[in-house]
Amino acid sequence: MRDYFIRRLRRLTPIFIEPVDGLPPADPDDVVEFSREFLQAGTPAFRIIFYAMMFVLQALCFATRGKSLFSLPPDEADEFIQSLYSHRISALSAIPTILGTPIYMAHYNRDDMQAPLGFDILALREDAAKRGVER
Amino acid sequence: MIIKPEGLTGNIRREADLVIIGSGAGGGPIAKEMAEAGYSVVVLEEGGYFTREDFDFRPGQALTRLYRDASQGVVLGLPVIVVPQGKTVGGTTTINSGTCLRVPRHVLKRWHLECGLRDITEDEMNLLYSAVEEYLFVKRADPEVVGKNNLTFLRAAEKLGYSGGFLPRNAKDCEGYGVCAYGCPSGAKQSVNVSYIPDAVKAGADVYTHCRAEHIVVRSGRATGVRGHFLDPRNGRKTYRMEVEAPVVVLAGGAIQTPSLLMHNRICLSSGRVGKNLSIHPCGAAMALMDEPLDNPKGIPQSTYVDEFAADGIMLEGVNLPPAVTAITLPWGGRRHAETMSRYPYLGYFGSMISEHDSSGKVVAGPSARQPLTFYNMGRGDLERVKRSVLLMAEIWFAAGARRVYTPIDGFKELSGARDVSRLARTHLKRASVYGLTAYHPMGTCSMGADPYHSVVKSSGETWEVENLFICDASVLPTSLGVNPQLTIMSLALRTAGFIDDRLNEGSIEKQSASRMDRLRSRLRREKETRAQRADNLEVGLL
Repeated sequence: MRDYFIRRLRRLTPIFIEPVDGLPPADPDDVVEFSREFLQAGTPAFRIIFYAMMFVLQALCFATRGKSLFSLPPDEADEFIQSLYSHRISALSAIPTILGTPIYMAHYNRDDMQAPLGFDILALREDAAKRGVER
Repeated sequence: MIIKPEGLTGNIRREADLVIIGSGAGGGPIAKEMAEAGYSVVVLEEGGYFTREDFDFRPGQALTRLYRDASQGVVLGLPVIVVPQGKTVGGTTTINSGTCLRVPRHVLKRWHLECGLRDITEDEMNLLYSAVEEYLFVKRADPEVVGKNNLTFLRAAEKLGYSGGFLPRNAKDCEGYGVCAYGCPSGAKQSVNVSYIPDAVKAGADVYTHCRAEHIVVRSGRATGVRGHFLDPRNGRKTYRMEVEAPVVVLAGGAIQTPSLLMHNRICLSSGRVGKNLSIHPCGAAMALMDEPLDNPKGIPQSTYVDEFAADGIMLEGVNLPPAVTAITLPWGGRRHAETMSRYPYLGYFGSMISEHDSSGKVVAGPSARQPLTFYNMGRGDLERVKRSVLLMAEIWFAAGARRVYTPIDGFKELSGARDVSRLARTHLKRASVYGLTAYHPMGTCSMGADPYHSVVKSSGETWEVENLFICDASVLPTSLGVNPQLTIMSLALRTAGFIDDRLNEGSIEKQSASRMDRLRSRLRREKETRAQRADNLEVGLL
């Protein structure tokens, strides 16, 4: 992943992931690392679409709000993202869906994120290791 | 043994009695059967080999390691549908839910009447199913470990008078960790990577991992081997060459990769049926916000079903998602996403599987054999079935006490009660208005049939065009099953193994179904006795 896209992804992360009380905040480094892995393991077509969507998202924001997405106040940025998600034209609602896939997956894949939600991976792994089933 | 590319120092050239491309539901059982019958067997698997210690409960890692293209593979059309497939030893069985259902009688009848496959008798299939079920410890999901999510939904469906129950699964002593789709961490799920492949290896088969088959060698109309390359597990780049010479080649790469390989090799194309007839099971979903925590993802994800509408092509089956997967399925982002995710313990899930009636699809050759293009046109009737299934699930969730139901349908992403449900029922759905649709079980792209003009393979699994080239995966299923296909693929694999045995033994396939059935029966009886003996010995040892 080129530096340009890494920078963009870092700045997109807090727009997609809002902080929630009692849950850890977003970690842009973790999101970039996972996205790199996810895109490398995936199809070339998805990679191209993913990078293109970053430009399209910015272009749409300029066209509709007259500003870069990153310079919008948080409330307005959130509203812009929501408006795309619920857009009637599926090509537009696909933009945040595609960009959000590795971002959300990376964030909620973290052990410290899943444990407060009731999915304590470390405890489960320990339990599974003890219970190995033999044929 | 299982050979990983890390230990290789140069090109490999092998000779064997048969070479199998793919180690999933089709390839695994054939490898075991043939290796135990004393043949030398080589299996080529494009994915890696992982054991239960490697399965770490993290869906993110599983997607990039165990799924083909990190589960980004889609069928093109309206709507675009994601079709997850496995790419690892065990194929999709390593990452499926473990549901084991037999082919419905009306489907088998259709095979007889429409496809001329009268020699695949109900009697023979039942015999094969019993053998596979016994080998894989198939039994109904234990109500103690199905989990609150599945149980809540089932009880509500029963309250409404809908028929349903617990699904049969290939799991032994399952604890309901809830992560079947990311590799079973306890080894309870008897997927091919912990059952058929280890037994095949024990009997002498060699499984080469990270090895992509590219060229099927055909001489004088007869398959004689396979050529391919090993892949660097870190970056997928080609490394050493692999060449296997074998009198029998079995293609078991799944319904999307198998036709692609045939098309790139320009073989078996004379019927014009390779890649055609793609059938999938499109899936709807409904997520519910409940007042009480449902302890997700604890419990067997796919453990209960509602089959009240199975005759209409709608089967409701349980599903259960860990936080990371829930997060990518929500149809909104930002603040609303965070709010919904903070209520994760209160979210319930259920899914539907649609048996197609008026949809059609195809696989065409892409830029490389590895990247075929798949197209799918969802019919109006099937789209209506998806909508109806979502309505049914919403009705059931509300009967279970849901405060809100989230659906994948544009304009109806959040339903708050019966009024919203009836509004959705009255709406005429457009193809593009279903969000994030997934589908499972691609089938039918090298279909089996009674004549070489309308099918790619004979009922024995051998291709009409190339002698000694057998296909054994979901691509040979001539019609949509309407149920999860792994048990049927495995059973047909055992059947095909019998024909390959005949071919290697006698030079020509034994057509006398009766004598083959007798041999099959006695072989299965012998296996059963051996297993019983082993269990007795174990019991004596324990005492």
